[in-house]
Amino acid sequence: MGSYYDIDAILTDAQKVPCTFDLDMPGLGYLDENAGGDIKAGTRVSLPLWLSTLLAVQRLGPSSQPLCTLDLPASISPRVLAALKAGPKTVDLRQLTSHYYELAARVLELFEEEEIVDVLSETFKERAAEIADHAHNPRGALGEAQDFLRGLDEMERQLFRSAHDSSNAMREWMGETKKKR
Amino acid sequence: MYGDHALKLIQHAKRTQALAHLPHYQTELVRETTREVRDLDKDVSNILAPFQGSFNPSSEPATACSVLVNHLCMRRNKRCLLAYHRVRSDKLEEMCWSGKDVLDQEQQAGRQGNGEGSGMASEVGNQSSLSPEEDEYVRQYGDMLAAYKGQWTDIDLTGSLEPPRDLFIDVRVLRDAGEIQTEYGYACHSLTILCQEWNY
Repeated sequence: MGSYYDIDAILTDAQKVPCTFDLDMPGLGYLDENAGGDIKAGTRVSLPLWLSTLLAVQRLGPSSQPLCTLDLPASISPRVLAALKAGPKTVDLRQLTSHYYELAARVLELFEEEEIVDVLSETFKERAAEIADHAHNPRGALGEAQDFLRGLDEMERQLFRSAHDSSNAMREWMGETKKKR
Repeated sequence: MYGDHALKLIQHAKRTQALAHLPHYQTELVRETTREVRDLDKDVSNILAPFQGSFNPSSEPATACSVLVNHLCMRRNKRCLLAYHRVRSDKLEEMCWSGKDVLDQEQQAGRQGNGEGSGMASEVGNQSSLSPEEDEYVRQYGDMLAAYKGQWTDIDLTGSLEPPRDLFIDVRVLRDAGEIQTEYGYACHSLTILCQEWNY
């Protein structure tokens, strides 16, 4: 995945995931907008990925429980997955979260959910074909495709941009060689 | 919540990547973030002070957890700070290589910002958008690049990669240089600076 300095990886890590604390935590109330207070066992808090994933895998001692348990974020809830299954191209991923696939990949490292992985990779395949189509067709960014293109997540946007640039560069190169001969 | 200032920095960095020029250095946010790290470090030392070096995480899970959270926040802030500065320094290096006069350009951008905005912008508008450290970095990087290029006098490393269409190129005369004899035998007046020189 992204390097230490990758801005997109850092932004992915900033997205919040619901998690539940399994222990009483004195003095950690600021995580739950309760500065100075404590967190009781069983509290549900939304924590950014960079904090929650490490807390969820951390075990203090050989036999003890992890400090908190993670839940699936709302953006990959069953409702969204059903929508993706029904029509991958109609879902506005950007509205859910700006780094959708990366978030899903990070979260699914910690869950065993083969089905979600399948749904998401199928979604990506379908959408990628559509994106390539729009990128190669210069008029694609206007009209009815506008809604679809606005709903792309960050990775899909980069895909769109590079597909678009490559077709432009190709055309330019063909034009150049023609002129010379 | 800890890490919010750092996140703002990263959002700035994200925006910077898409821009052609370099926006102002976020002195205030950087300072806030470093202050946060210092506070967190102080907190950790305070928490661990009573244990006098014999802290056992499995006997004190709650304390261990708050130390861990503090530590993770510090690590996060460090990563954000480093990434922010890296995006900017990459941009500056790119400017050096493409042969733009970074310092000059930044001052211009600053002046433009001053004209458009008011209040905040007018305060910082006259300064360069680089921090003093970045200023120094650009200067030294420029020197280093010049020294590196100096090793090959017949190749311009930062020159254009476009091959010329013709053996002859148009030359605009900037300064009177008197009589000049070229290898083709004819002499022309005052030929000094070639914009795009292709060396065979």
